[in-house]
Amino acid sequence: MTTVSAKPVRTTARPPRPAPLWRRLVRTGTFRTLGPFVPVIALWWLVAALEVFPESFFVGPPEVVDKLGELLEKGILPGYLSDSLTRLGYGVGFGLLIGLPLGYAVAMLPRLRRFCWPILLFFQAIADIAWLPIVIVWFGFSLTSVTFVLVYTIVFPLMLSVVAGVEQVPRELIRAARSLGAGRWRVFLEVIVPGALPSVAGGIRTGLGYGWRALVAAEIIVGTSGVGFMMFDARRVGDISQVFLGMAVLGALWYALDALILAPFERATVERWGMVRRLEADG
Amino acid sequence: MTALEISGLRKTYTDDYSGEEVTAIDEVSFGVEKGEFVSVLGPSGCGKTTVLNIVAGFVDLSGGTVVVDGRPVAGPGPDRGVVFQSHALFPWKTAYGNVVFGLRMRGVPRTERDERAREYLDLVGLGGFEHRYPHELSGGMQQRLGVARVLANEPAVMLMDEPFASIDAQTRRKLQEDLTRIFESRRPTVFFVTHDVDEAVFLSDRVVVLSGRPSRVRDIVEVPLSRPRRWDEALALPAFRATANRVNELLAGDEDDAGHLDAVS
Ligand SMILES: Nc1ncnc2c1ncn2[C@@H]1O[C@H](COP(=O)(O)OP(=O)(O)O)[C@@H](O)[C@H]1O
Ligand SMILES: [Mg+2]
Repeated sequence: MTTVSAKPVRTTARPPRPAPLWRRLVRTGTFRTLGPFVPVIALWWLVAALEVFPESFFVGPPEVVDKLGELLEKGILPGYLSDSLTRLGYGVGFGLLIGLPLGYAVAMLPRLRRFCWPILLFFQAIADIAWLPIVIVWFGFSLTSVTFVLVYTIVFPLMLSVVAGVEQVPRELIRAARSLGAGRWRVFLEVIVPGALPSVAGGIRTGLGYGWRALVAAEIIVGTSGVGFMMFDARRVGDISQVFLGMAVLGALWYALDALILAPFERATVERWGMVRRLEADG
Repeated sequence: MTALEISGLRKTYTDDYSGEEVTAIDEVSFGVEKGEFVSVLGPSGCGKTTVLNIVAGFVDLSGGTVVVDGRPVAGPGPDRGVVFQSHALFPWKTAYGNVVFGLRMRGVPRTERDERAREYLDLVGLGGFEHRYPHELSGGMQQRLGVARVLANEPAVMLMDEPFASIDAQTRRKLQEDLTRIFESRRPTVFFVTHDVDEAVFLSDRVVVLSGRPSRVRDIVEVPLSRPRRWDEALALPAFRATANRVNELLAGDEDDAGHLDAVS
Protein backbone atom coordinates (compact mmCIF):
# COMPACT_ATOMS: atom_id res chain seq x y z
CA MET A 1 0.00 0.00 0.00
CA THR A 2 1.32 3.42 -0.83
CA THR A 3 0.79 6.13 1.69
CA VAL A 4 -1.44 8.90 0.49
CA SER A 5 -1.16 12.21 2.24
CA ALA A 6 -4.42 13.87 3.08
CA LYS A 7 -3.24 17.34 2.08
CA PRO A 8 -2.65 18.28 -1.53
CA VAL A 9 0.97 17.83 -2.47
CA ARG A 10 2.70 21.10 -3.29
CA THR A 11 5.95 19.90 -4.79
CA THR A 12 5.67 18.35 -8.22
CA ALA A 13 7.85 15.95 -10.19
CA ARG A 14 10.04 14.94 -7.28
CA PRO A 15 11.04 11.32 -6.78
CA PRO A 16 9.18 9.83 -3.79
CA ARG A 17 11.30 9.96 -0.65
CA PRO A 18 11.72 6.76 1.36
CA ALA A 19 9.15 6.54 4.14
CA PRO A 20 10.36 8.09 7.41
CA LEU A 21 11.62 5.77 10.12
CA TRP A 22 8.55 6.04 12.34
CA ARG A 23 6.33 5.06 9.42
CA ARG A 24 8.38 1.97 8.70
CA LEU A 25 8.28 1.09 12.39
CA VAL A 26 4.51 1.45 12.46
CA ARG A 27 4.21 -0.99 9.59
CA THR A 28 5.98 -3.89 11.31
CA GLY A 29 3.83 -6.81 12.38
CA THR A 30 4.86 -6.61 16.03
CA PHE A 31 3.90 -2.99 16.24
CA ARG A 32 0.56 -3.60 14.58
CA THR A 33 -0.19 -6.38 17.01
CA LEU A 34 0.99 -4.79 20.24
CA GLY A 35 1.02 -1.08 19.42
CA PRO A 36 -2.66 -0.40 20.08
CA PHE A 37 -2.28 -1.80 23.61
CA VAL A 38 0.41 0.69 24.61
CA PRO A 39 -1.99 3.57 25.39
CA VAL A 40 -4.43 1.19 27.10
CA ILE A 41 -1.74 -0.15 29.41
CA ALA A 42 -0.38 3.36 29.98
CA LEU A 43 -3.82 4.58 31.02
CA TRP A 44 -4.30 1.57 33.27
CA TRP A 45 -0.92 2.23 34.86
CA LEU A 46 -1.71 5.90 35.34
CA VAL A 47 -5.07 5.22 36.98
CA ALA A 48 -3.43 2.71 39.31
CA ALA A 49 -0.47 4.99 40.13
CA LEU A 50 -2.73 7.96 40.91
CA GLU A 51 -4.65 5.70 43.31
CA VAL A 52 -8.00 6.83 42.00
CA PHE A 53 -9.38 3.63 43.50
CA PRO A 54 -8.18 1.95 46.68
CA GLU A 55 -5.52 -0.72 46.07
CA SER A 56 -7.82 -3.50 47.19
CA PHE A 57 -10.12 -2.61 44.28
CA PHE A 58 -7.72 -1.76 41.50
CA VAL A 59 -4.17 -2.91 40.87
CA GLY A 60 -1.68 -1.78 38.25
CA PRO A 61 0.34 -3.69 35.64
CA PRO A 62 3.35 -4.47 37.90
CA GLU A 63 1.19 -6.34 40.43
CA VAL A 64 -0.45 -8.33 37.65
CA VAL A 65 2.90 -9.20 36.08
CA ASP A 66 4.17 -10.32 39.49
CA LYS A 67 1.10 -12.47 39.89
CA LEU A 68 1.61 -13.92 36.42
CA GLY A 69 5.18 -14.90 37.37
CA GLU A 70 4.02 -16.44 40.62
CA LEU A 71 1.21 -18.50 39.08
CA LEU A 72 3.41 -19.63 36.21
CA GLU A 73 6.06 -20.77 38.68
CA LYS A 74 3.56 -22.67 40.79
CA GLY A 75 2.12 -24.25 37.65
CA ILE A 76 -1.40 -23.13 38.53
CA LEU A 77 -1.94 -20.94 35.51
CA PRO A 78 -0.65 -23.44 32.93
CA GLY A 79 -2.83 -26.13 34.51
CA TYR A 80 -5.96 -23.98 34.51
CA LEU A 81 -5.23 -22.71 31.03
CA SER A 82 -4.92 -26.17 29.62
CA ASP A 83 -8.17 -27.16 31.35
CA SER A 84 -9.98 -24.21 29.77
CA LEU A 85 -8.49 -24.84 26.35
CA THR A 86 -9.35 -28.53 26.50
CA ARG A 87 -12.96 -27.64 27.24
CA LEU A 88 -12.98 -25.08 24.48
CA GLY A 89 -11.49 -27.66 22.13
CA TYR A 90 -14.18 -30.22 22.94
CA GLY A 91 -16.94 -27.66 22.73
CA VAL A 92 -15.79 -26.19 19.44
CA GLY A 93 -15.01 -29.61 17.97
CA PHE A 94 -18.44 -31.02 18.70
CA GLY A 95 -20.05 -27.68 17.89
CA LEU A 96 -18.58 -27.69 14.39
CA LEU A 97 -19.24 -31.40 13.95
CA ILE A 98 -22.91 -30.88 14.71
CA GLY A 99 -23.50 -27.33 13.49
CA LEU A 100 -21.96 -27.53 10.01
CA PRO A 101 -23.75 -30.66 8.69
CA LEU A 102 -27.00 -29.62 10.34
CA GLY A 103 -26.67 -26.11 8.93
CA TYR A 104 -26.06 -27.36 5.40
CA ALA A 105 -28.91 -29.88 5.72
CA VAL A 106 -31.36 -27.22 6.87
CA ALA A 107 -30.16 -24.85 4.17
CA MET A 108 -30.42 -27.40 1.36
CA LEU A 109 -33.68 -29.13 2.23
CA PRO A 110 -36.61 -26.68 2.06
CA ARG A 111 -38.98 -29.00 3.90
CA LEU A 112 -36.59 -29.67 6.74
CA ARG A 113 -35.97 -25.95 6.86
CA ARG A 114 -39.62 -25.00 7.11
CA PHE A 115 -39.97 -27.55 9.88
CA CYS A 116 -36.82 -26.59 11.79
CA TRP A 117 -36.84 -22.81 11.52
CA PRO A 118 -39.25 -22.06 14.40
CA ILE A 119 -37.45 -24.58 16.60
CA LEU A 120 -34.13 -23.02 15.69
CA LEU A 121 -35.31 -19.55 16.62
CA PHE A 122 -36.91 -20.79 19.83
CA PHE A 123 -33.81 -22.54 21.13
CA GLN A 124 -31.49 -19.82 19.96
CA ALA A 125 -33.40 -17.44 22.20
CA ILE A 126 -32.66 -19.42 25.36
CA ALA A 127 -29.38 -18.03 26.59
CA ASP A 128 -26.66 -20.63 26.85
CA ILE A 129 -26.10 -19.94 30.53
CA ALA A 130 -29.81 -20.46 31.17
CA TRP A 131 -29.19 -24.11 30.45
CA LEU A 132 -26.66 -24.48 33.22
CA PRO A 133 -29.05 -25.23 36.10
CA ILE A 134 -30.67 -28.14 34.31
CA VAL A 135 -27.41 -29.32 32.76
CA ILE A 136 -25.83 -29.50 36.21
CA VAL A 137 -28.76 -31.63 37.36
CA TRP A 138 -28.23 -33.95 34.41
CA PHE A 139 -24.46 -34.17 34.20
CA GLY A 140 -23.19 -32.75 37.50
CA PHE A 141 -20.15 -30.46 37.76
CA SER A 142 -18.40 -32.15 34.89
CA LEU A 143 -16.69 -31.59 31.58
CA THR A 144 -19.86 -32.86 29.93
CA SER A 145 -21.87 -29.97 31.39
CA VAL A 146 -19.42 -27.36 30.17
CA THR A 147 -19.16 -29.00 26.76
CA PHE A 148 -22.93 -29.10 26.46
CA VAL A 149 -23.24 -25.39 27.07
CA LEU A 150 -20.41 -24.61 24.69
CA VAL A 151 -21.81 -26.76 21.90
CA TYR A 152 -25.20 -25.21 22.45
CA THR A 153 -23.70 -21.73 22.17
CA ILE A 154 -21.79 -22.48 19.00
CA VAL A 155 -24.31 -24.56 17.06
CA PHE A 156 -27.06 -21.98 16.58
CA PRO A 157 -25.13 -19.00 15.22
CA LEU A 158 -23.17 -21.44 13.10
CA MET A 159 -26.31 -22.98 11.60
CA LEU A 160 -27.84 -19.59 10.87
CA SER A 161 -24.66 -18.44 9.17
CA VAL A 162 -24.54 -21.58 7.04
CA VAL A 163 -28.12 -21.00 5.91
CA ALA A 164 -27.34 -17.36 5.11
CA GLY A 165 -24.17 -18.43 3.30
CA VAL A 166 -25.94 -20.98 1.13
CA GLU A 167 -28.51 -18.36 0.18
CA GLN A 168 -25.76 -15.98 -0.85
CA VAL A 169 -24.19 -18.35 -3.38
CA PRO A 170 -24.85 -16.64 -6.74
CA ARG A 171 -27.38 -18.53 -8.81
CA GLU A 172 -25.19 -18.18 -11.89
CA LEU A 173 -22.39 -20.18 -10.27
CA ILE A 174 -24.77 -23.07 -9.70
CA ARG A 175 -26.07 -22.75 -13.24
CA ALA A 176 -22.53 -22.65 -14.63
CA ALA A 177 -21.65 -25.84 -12.75
CA ARG A 178 -24.80 -27.60 -13.91
CA SER A 179 -24.15 -26.73 -17.55
CA LEU A 180 -20.59 -27.98 -17.22
CA GLY A 181 -21.94 -31.39 -16.26
CA ALA A 182 -22.10 -31.31 -12.45
CA GLY A 183 -24.91 -33.30 -10.84
CA ARG A 184 -26.73 -32.05 -7.77
CA TRP A 185 -24.30 -33.67 -5.33
CA ARG A 186 -21.25 -32.28 -7.11
CA VAL A 187 -22.90 -28.85 -7.22
CA PHE A 188 -23.30 -29.07 -3.46
CA LEU A 189 -19.72 -30.14 -2.78
CA GLU A 190 -17.97 -28.03 -5.40
CA VAL A 191 -20.06 -24.86 -5.46
CA ILE A 192 -22.37 -24.48 -2.48
CA VAL A 193 -19.95 -25.55 0.25
CA PRO A 194 -17.11 -23.22 -0.82
CA GLY A 195 -19.55 -20.55 -2.01
CA ALA A 196 -21.07 -20.30 1.46
CA LEU A 197 -17.66 -20.10 3.13
CA PRO A 198 -17.45 -16.31 3.63
CA SER A 199 -20.59 -16.40 5.74
CA VAL A 200 -19.66 -19.70 7.38
CA ALA A 201 -16.22 -18.36 8.34
CA GLY A 202 -17.99 -15.41 9.94
CA GLY A 203 -20.28 -17.85 11.75
CA ILE A 204 -17.36 -19.86 13.07
CA ARG A 205 -15.78 -16.67 14.36
CA THR A 206 -19.00 -15.54 16.03
CA GLY A 207 -19.68 -19.01 17.41
CA LEU A 208 -16.20 -19.29 18.82
CA GLY A 209 -16.45 -15.85 20.40
CA TYR A 210 -19.73 -16.75 22.07
CA GLY A 211 -18.28 -20.10 23.08
CA TRP A 212 -15.27 -18.51 24.70
CA ARG A 213 -17.49 -16.26 26.82
CA ALA A 214 -19.87 -19.08 27.68
CA LEU A 215 -16.90 -21.17 28.76
CA VAL A 216 -15.73 -18.59 31.26
CA ALA A 217 -19.27 -18.16 32.60
CA ALA A 218 -19.70 -21.90 32.89
CA GLU A 219 -16.39 -22.26 34.69
CA ILE A 220 -17.39 -19.62 37.18
CA ILE A 221 -20.57 -21.53 37.99
CA VAL A 222 -19.65 -25.16 37.39
CA GLY A 223 -15.95 -24.71 37.82
CA THR A 224 -13.53 -26.83 39.65
CA SER A 225 -10.69 -25.50 37.52
CA GLY A 226 -10.01 -23.25 34.55
CA VAL A 227 -9.38 -19.56 34.05
CA GLY A 228 -12.97 -18.60 34.90
CA PHE A 229 -12.77 -20.58 38.11
CA MET A 230 -9.41 -19.06 38.93
CA MET A 231 -10.86 -15.56 38.74
CA PHE A 232 -13.89 -16.39 40.81
CA ASP A 233 -11.84 -18.19 43.39
CA ALA A 234 -9.45 -15.23 43.59
CA ARG A 235 -12.34 -12.88 44.24
CA ARG A 236 -13.48 -15.11 47.12
CA VAL A 237 -10.13 -14.72 48.86
CA GLY A 238 -9.82 -11.06 47.84
CA ASP A 239 -6.85 -11.49 45.48
CA ILE A 240 -7.57 -8.64 43.08
CA SER A 241 -4.38 -8.95 41.04
CA GLN A 242 -5.35 -12.53 40.23
CA VAL A 243 -8.77 -11.36 39.01
CA PHE A 244 -7.07 -8.77 36.82
CA LEU A 245 -4.64 -11.36 35.56
CA GLY A 246 -7.53 -13.64 34.62
CA MET A 247 -9.15 -10.90 32.59
CA ALA A 248 -5.91 -10.11 30.78
CA VAL A 249 -5.37 -13.80 30.05
CA LEU A 250 -8.87 -14.14 28.56
CA GLY A 251 -8.31 -11.26 26.19
CA ALA A 252 -4.80 -12.35 25.21
CA LEU A 253 -5.95 -15.90 24.57
CA TRP A 254 -8.78 -14.83 22.30
CA TYR A 255 -6.36 -12.61 20.44
CA ALA A 256 -3.97 -15.55 20.02
CA LEU A 257 -6.77 -17.83 18.85
CA ASP A 258 -7.73 -15.28 16.24
CA ALA A 259 -4.16 -14.62 15.12
CA LEU A 260 -3.06 -18.25 15.06
CA ILE A 261 -6.14 -20.06 13.73
CA LEU A 262 -9.04 -17.94 12.50
CA ALA A 263 -7.20 -15.21 10.63
CA PRO A 264 -4.79 -17.57 8.80
CA PHE A 265 -7.73 -19.77 7.80
CA GLU A 266 -9.56 -16.79 6.32
CA ARG A 267 -6.41 -15.50 4.64
CA ALA A 268 -5.88 -18.87 2.97
CA THR A 269 -9.47 -19.19 1.77
CA VAL A 270 -12.04 -16.45 1.33
CA GLU A 271 -9.47 -13.63 1.26
CA ARG A 272 -7.21 -15.51 -1.15
CA TRP A 273 -10.18 -16.04 -3.45
CA GLY A 274 -11.19 -12.40 -3.35
CA MET A 275 -14.57 -13.26 -1.85
CA VAL A 276 -14.29 -10.81 1.04
CA ARG A 277 -12.43 -7.57 1.37
CA ARG A 278 -9.45 -7.73 3.64
CA LEU A 279 -9.72 -5.87 6.91
CA GLU A 280 -6.23 -4.44 6.54
CA ALA A 281 -4.57 -3.72 3.25
CA ASP A 282 -1.07 -5.14 3.33
CA GLY A 283 1.90 -2.81 3.65
CA MET B 1 -26.28 -30.62 -39.85
CA THR B 2 -28.40 -28.77 -37.31
CA ALA B 3 -26.92 -28.39 -33.85
CA LEU B 4 -29.78 -26.41 -32.33
CA GLU B 5 -33.36 -26.17 -33.51
CA ILE B 6 -35.88 -23.86 -31.84
CA SER B 7 -39.45 -24.07 -33.12
CA GLY B 8 -42.54 -22.22 -32.03
CA LEU B 9 -40.93 -21.24 -28.72
CA ARG B 10 -43.27 -19.47 -26.33
CA LYS B 11 -42.75 -18.32 -22.78
CA THR B 12 -45.12 -16.71 -20.31
CA TYR B 13 -44.06 -15.69 -16.83
CA THR B 14 -46.51 -15.46 -13.98
CA ASP B 15 -45.91 -12.35 -11.96
CA ASP B 16 -45.29 -13.39 -8.34
CA TYR B 17 -47.26 -10.51 -6.84
CA SER B 18 -50.11 -9.70 -9.16
CA GLY B 19 -50.47 -13.24 -10.47
CA GLU B 20 -50.71 -11.75 -13.95
CA GLU B 21 -49.42 -13.63 -16.96
CA VAL B 22 -46.66 -11.84 -18.87
CA THR B 23 -45.80 -13.08 -22.33
CA ALA B 24 -42.04 -12.69 -22.81
CA ILE B 25 -41.68 -14.78 -25.97
CA ASP B 26 -44.55 -14.97 -28.37
CA GLU B 27 -43.25 -17.19 -31.14
CA VAL B 28 -39.58 -17.72 -31.90
CA SER B 29 -38.23 -20.24 -34.41
CA PHE B 30 -34.77 -20.60 -35.91
CA GLY B 31 -31.94 -23.10 -36.17
CA VAL B 32 -28.18 -23.06 -35.72
CA GLU B 33 -26.05 -25.27 -37.93
CA LYS B 34 -23.03 -27.13 -36.63
CA GLY B 35 -20.03 -24.83 -36.71
CA GLU B 36 -22.18 -21.77 -37.26
CA PHE B 37 -22.11 -18.50 -35.30
CA VAL B 38 -25.63 -17.15 -34.82
CA SER B 39 -26.51 -14.02 -32.87
CA VAL B 40 -29.87 -13.17 -31.41
CA LEU B 41 -30.35 -9.44 -31.41
CA GLY B 42 -33.09 -7.35 -29.90
CA PRO B 43 -33.82 -4.40 -27.63
CA SER B 44 -33.27 -4.82 -23.88
CA GLY B 45 -36.10 -6.64 -22.17
CA CYS B 46 -37.32 -8.33 -25.35
CA GLY B 47 -36.63 -11.83 -24.09
CA LYS B 48 -33.14 -12.69 -25.38
CA THR B 49 -31.91 -13.98 -22.05
CA THR B 50 -35.12 -15.93 -21.67
CA VAL B 51 -34.49 -17.72 -24.97
CA LEU B 52 -30.92 -18.50 -23.92
CA ASN B 53 -31.99 -19.69 -20.47
CA ILE B 54 -34.51 -22.02 -22.03
CA VAL B 55 -31.91 -23.46 -24.39
CA ALA B 56 -29.51 -23.82 -21.45
CA GLY B 57 -32.22 -25.65 -19.51
CA PHE B 58 -32.30 -23.12 -16.66
CA VAL B 59 -35.88 -22.11 -17.38
CA ASP B 60 -38.85 -24.19 -18.56
CA LEU B 61 -40.59 -23.29 -21.81
CA SER B 62 -44.33 -22.69 -22.07
CA GLY B 63 -44.71 -23.94 -25.62
CA GLY B 64 -42.78 -25.14 -28.67
CA THR B 65 -39.67 -27.29 -28.81
CA VAL B 66 -35.92 -26.87 -28.35
CA VAL B 67 -33.78 -29.65 -29.76
CA VAL B 68 -29.99 -29.89 -29.35
CA ASP B 69 -28.12 -32.56 -31.32
CA GLY B 70 -31.39 -34.34 -31.96
CA ARG B 71 -32.48 -34.45 -28.31
CA PRO B 72 -35.17 -32.24 -26.74
CA VAL B 73 -33.72 -30.07 -24.00
CA ALA B 74 -34.54 -31.14 -20.43
CA GLY B 75 -32.59 -29.29 -17.75
CA PRO B 76 -29.00 -28.04 -17.94
CA GLY B 77 -26.31 -30.30 -19.36
CA PRO B 78 -22.70 -30.29 -20.54
CA ASP B 79 -23.79 -30.31 -24.21
CA ARG B 80 -24.76 -26.64 -23.73
CA GLY B 81 -21.99 -24.61 -22.09
CA VAL B 82 -22.83 -21.08 -21.02
CA VAL B 83 -20.67 -17.94 -20.96
CA PHE B 84 -22.31 -15.43 -18.62
CA GLN B 85 -22.22 -11.66 -18.66
CA SER B 86 -21.11 -11.75 -15.03
CA HIS B 87 -18.48 -14.39 -16.00
CA ALA B 88 -19.67 -16.73 -13.19
CA LEU B 89 -16.18 -18.17 -12.71
CA PHE B 90 -15.63 -20.10 -9.50
CA PRO B 91 -13.73 -17.65 -7.27
CA TRP B 92 -12.15 -20.46 -5.21
CA LYS B 93 -10.66 -22.14 -8.25
CA THR B 94 -7.65 -21.01 -10.22
CA ALA B 95 -7.86 -20.42 -13.97
CA TYR B 96 -6.71 -24.00 -14.38
CA GLY B 97 -9.28 -25.26 -11.86
CA ASN B 98 -12.06 -23.45 -13.68
CA VAL B 99 -11.08 -24.85 -17.07
CA VAL B 100 -10.84 -28.47 -15.89
CA PHE B 101 -14.08 -28.27 -13.90
CA GLY B 102 -16.30 -29.68 -16.65
CA LEU B 103 -13.75 -32.36 -17.52
CA ARG B 104 -13.59 -33.47 -13.90
CA MET B 105 -17.37 -33.59 -13.67
CA ARG B 106 -17.45 -35.83 -16.70
CA GLY B 107 -14.72 -38.14 -15.43
CA VAL B 108 -12.02 -37.32 -17.97
CA PRO B 109 -8.71 -38.82 -16.78
CA ARG B 110 -6.19 -36.48 -15.22
CA THR B 111 -3.49 -36.54 -17.88
CA GLU B 112 -5.99 -35.73 -20.60
CA ARG B 113 -7.50 -33.00 -18.42
CA ASP B 114 -4.12 -31.33 -17.95
CA GLU B 115 -3.40 -31.49 -21.64
CA ARG B 116 -6.74 -30.00 -22.62
CA ALA B 117 -6.62 -27.32 -19.95
CA ARG B 118 -3.26 -26.15 -21.26
CA GLU B 119 -4.51 -26.27 -24.82
CA TYR B 120 -7.59 -24.15 -24.14
CA LEU B 121 -5.83 -21.70 -21.83
CA ASP B 122 -3.32 -21.14 -24.62
CA LEU B 123 -6.15 -20.80 -27.13
CA VAL B 124 -7.68 -17.87 -25.23
CA GLY B 125 -4.28 -16.33 -24.52
CA LEU B 126 -4.14 -17.24 -20.83
CA GLY B 127 -1.11 -19.55 -20.99
CA GLY B 128 0.99 -18.72 -17.93
CA PHE B 129 -2.01 -17.52 -15.93
CA GLU B 130 -3.21 -20.96 -14.88
CA HIS B 131 -2.46 -20.38 -11.19
CA ARG B 132 -4.25 -17.05 -10.96
CA TYR B 133 -7.60 -16.79 -9.23
CA PRO B 134 -10.39 -15.08 -11.18
CA HIS B 135 -10.26 -11.91 -9.07
CA GLU B 136 -6.61 -11.58 -10.03
CA LEU B 137 -7.52 -11.36 -13.74
CA SER B 138 -8.79 -8.38 -15.72
CA GLY B 139 -12.40 -8.27 -16.92
CA GLY B 140 -11.34 -9.25 -20.42
CA MET B 141 -9.25 -12.14 -19.17
CA GLN B 142 -12.14 -13.33 -17.03
CA GLN B 143 -14.43 -13.50 -20.06
CA ARG B 144 -11.80 -15.34 -22.10
CA LEU B 145 -11.40 -17.79 -19.24
CA GLY B 146 -15.16 -18.27 -19.28
CA VAL B 147 -14.92 -19.14 -22.98
CA ALA B 148 -12.05 -21.57 -22.35
CA ARG B 149 -13.99 -23.24 -19.55
CA VAL B 150 -16.89 -23.93 -21.91
CA LEU B 151 -14.89 -24.89 -25.00
CA ALA B 152 -12.63 -27.30 -23.08
CA ASN B 153 -15.80 -29.25 -22.34
CA GLU B 154 -16.52 -29.51 -26.09
CA PRO B 155 -20.25 -28.77 -25.94
CA ALA B 156 -22.62 -29.18 -28.90
CA VAL B 157 -23.29 -25.47 -28.66
CA MET B 158 -21.73 -22.61 -26.71
CA LEU B 159 -24.31 -20.15 -25.36
CA MET B 160 -23.16 -16.59 -24.70
CA ASP B 161 -25.37 -13.99 -23.01
CA GLU B 162 -24.02 -10.47 -23.69
CA PRO B 163 -20.59 -11.55 -22.45
CA PHE B 164 -18.91 -8.23 -23.32
CA ALA B 165 -21.68 -5.86 -22.26
CA SER B 166 -20.04 -4.79 -19.00
CA ILE B 167 -16.56 -4.32 -20.47
CA ASP B 168 -15.10 -1.00 -21.60
CA ALA B 169 -15.42 -0.20 -25.30
CA GLN B 170 -11.71 -0.48 -26.07
CA THR B 171 -11.32 -3.92 -24.54
CA ARG B 172 -14.62 -5.03 -26.02
CA ARG B 173 -13.32 -4.59 -29.57
CA LYS B 174 -10.28 -6.63 -28.69
CA LEU B 175 -12.39 -9.38 -27.10
CA GLN B 176 -14.66 -9.54 -30.13
CA GLU B 177 -11.60 -10.06 -32.32
CA ASP B 178 -10.29 -12.71 -29.93
CA LEU B 179 -13.61 -14.51 -30.03
CA THR B 180 -13.69 -14.36 -33.84
CA ARG B 181 -10.16 -15.72 -34.01
CA ILE B 182 -11.07 -18.58 -31.64
CA PHE B 183 -14.20 -19.29 -33.64
CA GLU B 184 -12.30 -19.29 -36.90
CA SER B 185 -9.68 -21.71 -35.61
CA ARG B 186 -12.02 -24.14 -33.82
CA ARG B 187 -15.40 -23.69 -35.45
CA PRO B 188 -17.52 -24.36 -32.39
CA THR B 189 -21.27 -23.84 -32.69
CA VAL B 190 -22.12 -20.52 -31.05
CA PHE B 191 -25.41 -19.01 -29.98
CA PHE B 192 -24.70 -15.41 -29.05
CA VAL B 193 -27.07 -12.94 -27.44
CA THR B 194 -26.52 -9.18 -27.73
CA HIS B 195 -28.25 -5.83 -28.13
CA ASP B 196 -25.24 -4.35 -30.00
CA VAL B 197 -25.81 -4.31 -33.77
CA ASP B 198 -22.16 -3.92 -34.82
CA GLU B 199 -21.10 -6.69 -32.48
CA ALA B 200 -23.72 -9.06 -33.88
CA VAL B 201 -22.78 -8.33 -37.49
CA PHE B 202 -19.04 -8.52 -36.89
CA LEU B 203 -19.17 -11.86 -35.09
CA SER B 204 -21.98 -13.76 -36.77
CA ASP B 205 -22.75 -15.82 -39.81
CA ARG B 206 -26.42 -15.00 -39.30
CA VAL B 207 -28.26 -12.52 -37.09
CA VAL B 208 -31.72 -13.32 -35.73
CA VAL B 209 -33.48 -9.99 -35.15
CA LEU B 210 -36.21 -10.06 -32.52
CA SER B 211 -39.03 -7.59 -32.06
CA GLY B 212 -39.76 -5.93 -28.73
CA ARG B 213 -41.61 -7.86 -26.06
CA PRO B 214 -43.42 -10.17 -26.58
CA SER B 215 -40.72 -11.23 -28.97
CA ARG B 216 -41.11 -12.68 -32.42
CA VAL B 217 -38.46 -13.20 -35.05
CA ARG B 218 -38.54 -10.11 -37.22
CA ASP B 219 -36.10 -11.51 -39.75
CA ILE B 220 -32.91 -13.52 -40.02
CA VAL B 221 -30.08 -11.65 -41.73
CA GLU B 222 -27.14 -13.39 -43.45
CA VAL B 223 -23.80 -11.65 -42.94
CA PRO B 224 -21.97 -11.68 -46.29
CA LEU B 225 -18.48 -11.15 -44.83
CA SER B 226 -15.65 -13.58 -45.39
CA ARG B 227 -13.45 -14.87 -42.60
CA PRO B 228 -11.03 -14.21 -41.03
CA ARG B 229 -12.54 -10.92 -39.90
CA ARG B 230 -10.79 -7.99 -38.27
CA TRP B 231 -12.37 -4.78 -37.04
CA ASP B 232 -10.29 -2.34 -39.07
CA GLU B 233 -11.03 -4.29 -42.25
CA ALA B 234 -14.70 -4.91 -41.49
CA LEU B 235 -15.42 -1.25 -40.78
CA ALA B 236 -14.01 -0.34 -44.18
CA LEU B 237 -16.20 -2.84 -46.04
CA PRO B 238 -19.41 -1.53 -47.62
CA ALA B 239 -20.98 -4.96 -46.98
CA PHE B 240 -20.48 -4.50 -43.22
CA ARG B 241 -22.22 -1.12 -43.16
CA ALA B 242 -24.99 -2.36 -45.44
CA THR B 243 -25.70 -5.34 -43.22
CA ALA B 244 -25.64 -3.26 -40.05
CA ASN B 245 -28.01 -0.75 -41.68
CA ARG B 246 -30.36 -3.53 -42.68
CA VAL B 247 -30.40 -4.86 -39.10
CA ASN B 248 -30.96 -1.37 -37.73
CA GLU B 249 -33.92 -0.91 -40.05
CA LEU B 250 -35.43 -4.15 -38.83
CA LEU B 251 -35.04 -3.04 -35.24
CA ALA B 252 -36.52 0.34 -36.07
CA GLY B 253 -39.68 -1.45 -37.19
CA ASP B 254 -40.37 -1.55 -33.46
CA GLU B 255 -41.09 2.15 -33.41
CA ASP B 256 -44.55 1.47 -34.77
CA ASP B 257 -45.68 -1.11 -32.26
CA ALA B 258 -43.70 -0.71 -29.04
CA GLY B 259 -41.03 1.96 -28.87
CA HIS B 260 -38.37 -0.14 -27.16
CA LEU B 261 -35.78 1.62 -29.26
CA ASP B 262 -34.07 3.47 -26.47
CA ALA B 263 -32.03 0.41 -25.57
CA VAL B 264 -30.69 -0.14 -29.06
CA SER B 265 -27.31 1.33 -29.75
N1 LIG C 1 -38.24 -14.79 -13.84
C1 LIG C 1 -39.04 -13.87 -14.44
N2 LIG C 1 -40.28 -13.62 -13.95
C2 LIG C 1 -41.08 -12.71 -14.54
N3 LIG C 1 -40.76 -12.01 -15.63
C3 LIG C 1 -39.54 -12.21 -16.17
C4 LIG C 1 -38.62 -13.14 -15.60
N4 LIG C 1 -37.49 -13.14 -16.35
C5 LIG C 1 -37.70 -12.24 -17.32
N5 LIG C 1 -38.93 -11.68 -17.23
C6 LIG C 1 -39.49 -10.67 -18.14
O1 LIG C 1 -39.40 -11.15 -19.46
C7 LIG C 1 -38.97 -10.13 -20.33
C8 LIG C 1 -37.72 -10.56 -21.07
O2 LIG C 1 -36.62 -10.57 -20.19
P1 LIG C 1 -35.16 -11.00 -20.67
O3 LIG C 1 -35.23 -12.33 -21.31
O4 LIG C 1 -34.25 -10.86 -19.52
O5 LIG C 1 -34.85 -9.87 -21.76
P2 LIG C 1 -33.46 -9.45 -22.42
O6 LIG C 1 -32.42 -10.46 -22.09
O7 LIG C 1 -33.75 -9.38 -23.89
O8 LIG C 1 -33.11 -8.10 -21.90
C9 LIG C 1 -38.75 -8.89 -19.49
O9 LIG C 1 -39.84 -8.04 -19.67
C10 LIG C 1 -38.67 -9.39 -18.08
O10 LIG C 1 -39.26 -8.47 -17.21
MG1 LIG D 1 -30.53 -10.19 -21.08
